[in-house]
Amino acid sequence: MIKLSQIKKSYGRQEVLHGIDLTVGKGDVVAILGPSGSGKTTLLRCINYLERPSDGEITIDGFTVHCKRPTKADIHHLRKKSAMVFQQYNLFRHKTALENVMEGLVVVHKLPKEQARLRSVELLEKVGLGDKLDAYPSQLSGGQQQRVGIARALALGPKVILFDEPTSSLDPELVGEVLSVIRKIAKEGITMIIVTHEMSFAQDVASHVVFMDNGTIVEQGKPSELFQSPKEERTKQFLKRFAPESAYSI
Amino acid sequence: MKLDLSFIWTALLQLLTAIPTTLAVTGVSVVCGLAIGTVVALIRINRVPVLNAAAAAYVTFIRGTPMLTHLLLVYFGLPFVIDAICESFGWPFRSVSIPMIGFAYIAFSITAGAYLSEVVRSGLLAVDKGQIEAAYSVGMTTSQAIRRIVFPQAFAILLPNLSNSTISMLHGSTLVFTVSVVDINAKSQIIASSNWKFFEAYIAAAVLYWGLTFLIERVTAMAEKRFQMYNRGGVS
Repeated sequence: MIKLSQIKKSYGRQEVLHGIDLTVGKGDVVAILGPSGSGKTTLLRCINYLERPSDGEITIDGFTVHCKRPTKADIHHLRKKSAMVFQQYNLFRHKTALENVMEGLVVVHKLPKEQARLRSVELLEKVGLGDKLDAYPSQLSGGQQQRVGIARALALGPKVILFDEPTSSLDPELVGEVLSVIRKIAKEGITMIIVTHEMSFAQDVASHVVFMDNGTIVEQGKPSELFQSPKEERTKQFLKRFAPESAYSI
Repeated sequence: MKLDLSFIWTALLQLLTAIPTTLAVTGVSVVCGLAIGTVVALIRINRVPVLNAAAAAYVTFIRGTPMLTHLLLVYFGLPFVIDAICESFGWPFRSVSIPMIGFAYIAFSITAGAYLSEVVRSGLLAVDKGQIEAAYSVGMTTSQAIRRIVFPQAFAILLPNLSNSTISMLHGSTLVFTVSVVDINAKSQIIASSNWKFFEAYIAAAVLYWGLTFLIERVTAMAEKRFQMYNRGGVS
């Protein structure tokens, strides 16, 4: 369903992604792990063109963008197939929780307001924020903001949701509430790609785990394989720092 | 010489008739300046080829020359240009039929545009980059993202600076007397010299300008409250 082939990205002379190939099937939950600076966030941001890959091809749901010379229309079309949940939430600051979720539906999908409203309320209730519809982002905690962010992404009915370290800027007490929402929607069969540092969460929720280092995919496979018996030395070294059964609280 | 307190009041009442002219010059220049400034700011932020250099030159030239010079250049230069164009196209229009205040509108809009472009630019730059990324991620086009997400937030940020510029333009509008437009200041000169009560007339003018400035401050404070409502919460 999603196919990345030979994705390359350079900043000036420095190449940070060295030709990444990755295939994600429908309903897959892919966790991308790796040390800081390994290029995992850059790769994720290439998928919806918040970063411009210098070379390669991105295919989502049968629509292919050739990254050498994409047109504006290509990029816009590609972006409409995905949604993103950001590390810093990036909720529209001047809009309420409800308006944040409605915005894409009304402006991009041209849904009538009343219909968009109903759907948005439903989604906010699903992420446990039915009582915060009219709150501005500045009035919400980090965990609540991130759950609005997830509802905003879900509203668009995307082919894939991209999570960019969704819990990295939350304090430990709030991580659980966000992870449990992600887990809930993962079970509904929505395709997701998650860049995360939450190892046990990845092990638990992901159907496929990718380990990146230095702009390349070092190893990938089922979580049971990759976590229990990593083949590459670099993966072993990286995973050694995490106790295999470390629990996270919900 | 004795201060004639009652004449201050008399002068004040006579000056009221000049308020519309002052407000018109200030309002037109700020509104048109904001439009020019927005376009210039967008050109400069997006580094539009060719236009960017022109925009930068415009800003540095206008900010580098006095407002009075702009007015005089437009007043003495524009008629030549207009007449030459009209003549070459065979149009019957001639620059003499342009009212004096028209030159003030044009000149001060150009002045305000340069200053306000920097105000708008600072507002746009202050909006977090993540906001436009989020707009893209929900599938908006660049113009949708700018119109619906970036501008409203930038406007809330630039309001205090806009108020500052508006006050500057209000006070700068006194220069229109040089092209024979009768605003509050020009009117106070007329009243002063025809009654030989200069100090009184100028006190009345000062009171009026202060009042108008106060009004601008109040309106801005109200607008700030309205547009920055979303910032009320504790955490940002």
